[in-house]
Amino acid sequence: MPLTGPDLIESPRPRGKGRPRTVETAAPSLVELLNLVRTGAASTRQELERQSEFGRAVVADRLTMLGDLGLVDESELGTATGGRAPRLVRFAARRAAILVATLDQTAIGVGVADLSGNLLTEHHEAADLTAPPGDLTDRLSALFRWSMDRHAPHGGIWGISLSVPGAVQGTTEGDFLTTTPPVLPAWEGFPLVETLTRHFGVPVWMRSSVETMAMGELHAGAGIGMRNMLFIKVGRRIGAGIVCDGQLHRGAQGAAGLIGSLPVTSGGRDGTLDALAGSDMIQRKGRSAAEDGRSPMLADILRRSGEITAIEVSQAAQMGDAVSAAILSESGHLIGQVVATLANALNPELIVLSGSIVQTNDILLAALREAVYGASHPFVTRDLRIIRSQMGSSAGLVGAARVASESLFASVFLKEWVMQGSPLLHPAFVSLQDRLSAEAAPPPPMTAHTGKELTP
Amino acid sequence: MMISGLGPHGERAAPPERVTLLPDDRAAAKAAGWRIAVVLHTLESDWARQQLSGMVGIFGDCGAAVIDVVDCAFSPELQVAELDRLVTLRPDAIISLPVANEQVAAAHRRVSEAGIKLVLLDNAPTGLLPGKDYIALVSADNFGLGKIAAEGLSPHIPNDAEVGILGFGADFFATNQREIAFTKWLQLNRPDIKPRVRRFARIEEAASTADVLFSDHPGLGGLFVVWDTPALAAAVRLTERKAIFPMATVDLGEAAAIALARGDTLCCIAAQQPLLQGIAAAQTVVLCLLGRPVPAWIALPGIVVTRGNVVETFQAVWRQPAPREVLRLLGLS
Repeated sequence: MPLTGPDLIESPRPRGKGRPRTVETAAPSLVELLNLVRTGAASTRQELERQSEFGRAVVADRLTMLGDLGLVDESELGTATGGRAPRLVRFAARRAAILVATLDQTAIGVGVADLSGNLLTEHHEAADLTAPPGDLTDRLSALFRWSMDRHAPHGGIWGISLSVPGAVQGTTEGDFLTTTPPVLPAWEGFPLVETLTRHFGVPVWMRSSVETMAMGELHAGAGIGMRNMLFIKVGRRIGAGIVCDGQLHRGAQGAAGLIGSLPVTSGGRDGTLDALAGSDMIQRKGRSAAEDGRSPMLADILRRSGEITAIEVSQAAQMGDAVSAAILSESGHLIGQVVATLANALNPELIVLSGSIVQTNDILLAALREAVYGASHPFVTRDLRIIRSQMGSSAGLVGAARVASESLFASVFLKEWVMQGSPLLHPAFVSLQDRLSAEAAPPPPMTAHTGKELTP
Repeated sequence: MMISGLGPHGERAAPPERVTLLPDDRAAAKAAGWRIAVVLHTLESDWARQQLSGMVGIFGDCGAAVIDVVDCAFSPELQVAELDRLVTLRPDAIISLPVANEQVAAAHRRVSEAGIKLVLLDNAPTGLLPGKDYIALVSADNFGLGKIAAEGLSPHIPNDAEVGILGFGADFFATNQREIAFTKWLQLNRPDIKPRVRRFARIEEAASTADVLFSDHPGLGGLFVVWDTPALAAAVRLTERKAIFPMATVDLGEAAAIALARGDTLCCIAAQQPLLQGIAAAQTVVLCLLGRPVPAWIALPGIVVTRGNVVETFQAVWRQPAPREVLRLLGLS
């Protein structure tokens, strides 16, 4: 909905030399006022005038514009402090929605979030990330459509944000993706971003799962109000999300926290932390204990299902299987030694552990705590808390929603679309869509037929 | 049996054996003398009565008094009011089945903020976290139930047919999972089938929604309804319209068992284990009040029920004999 209000129509009266048009000056003030409202820094006209230092007329004018665009809502009254009750200025977070997804090695999660990054709904199901990328993209699209059918507001969808199991190279803060970055070897050459942009007609953002989960934990989990936090994700790969001074530290290439590549030694073997403490090693050791009969519990699982997963070793450890407990304890110690180094370097107030293996047993957490406390300076551990995440995979969805929300409303990005009323009219996105429609559409993925109805 | 779904936050399921009570636990619980309240979506269904029966029995064994049992009649407004009332009674724990998502989330959060232990059944409103806003969720493997229903209905559906899916309009973890799993199974295993979805907002609207679905798609070759009570209401209406086709649903209520034994339309039921679920929920409450760690999601597997095994599964699920009418229809009495 482009703005057509009287303030934006050029006056027939000749302008003074060098005097900018309203349409040229409105965008920066709209951006500033909208972000003051959106972040909760101001919630009344008086507060907006005070914080922005714009005059009353400008604030009133811009709020009318933002109201017409559906981006702010002034229908609620605040508490009176002596005179008339002030009208509250609220960000219209339900103006549109953001689709979010986490792609994990063994699971896929989808959700719908409002423009403030709050999840409205979520769904998780088992998936195999080694399956053909076309099949997974089809499944993701089907779940997105189902979620939209049930939860998308009338304003539609303004973006898709993905959490993926690997560092995402080449993304600049705030920018949406125009091509698919290399994330997983199995996905090499598959146009995931282009496919989703074509299917849904919205910009796509992507971050590593450890980054999104750290952001989710910081904004909606145990990290609320924390300034310095380490978020450790334990899975096939082991990664760290580093929060310094309340901000996620991404590093020069978005690759900060790849601690799984660090060399460690275990039982006389040298290797990376991923290889010696990750879920592949836990699974391999569990299978070996089942096959040679050292663990009757794992042997029974193997007999029944024909395989042993890392999660089953983890659950067996929790149920009291001594061999499984030793496997988890060894992993916890190795990870703890590396985390202790990070803790000594960064002095966090909170370390949060996450991942299915951590969530299904207490032993890995206990071993990691022991290693960190044993190898850290007393000042570092004096008030340090080491806990398990309560958010599970929701952390990735919440974090992905925050990535899209912060990118959509980043000043540099917002000023390019706010006058049009929708990020889908941002010139860079319009040009991406033009490019994609000019290019030949990719051949249809070889997957199951899907009906026309919005079914998952 | 394997649990095929994931929890509301992607959690892996813990089996109900994980919350088994030891004699010491029972003795410690008896000494404490706790007060517990239960808030259910309805008390009118066989499922709700059995679940309540499982809970009350365990609390009885553990010397805990059930001080209130609330029937929310599927109303979010009523549930919010009742939870706020219960908070003032200061029970030690509340077991609640949230009847909606966003509408009831804050009221459930107020329970845990008041220091009352909260165990959820079947649904976790978005934004509430285990360990912070509630202790644990106890539910069936609803994803598995949807798969069982699809697998059971599939052999009765001709090639390239349309299949109706009568879903629940409320944003509810359990019924969402069943609907998603049902369609996913069809898409993977019967891509020739075209799913046609309609959702009823209230249980009283199930029959009329089925009517609309059938009017829009008169060529329907089968129907899945996300639980038994609306399924039976839909079956009655469709039979009146001479629309007879195979159906599958979830929950082995008494009337559903009779319909399955009759064998006219209902061909498969994915059964929950409400009695065991009630027992698991009560045991979870006891363990958490004793300060023991409990898993975030405890899930019970579903059971495949057909006309051929309805008697024994009814006995296994309900711990009581199958209805006389079922035995008569199967020529067993």
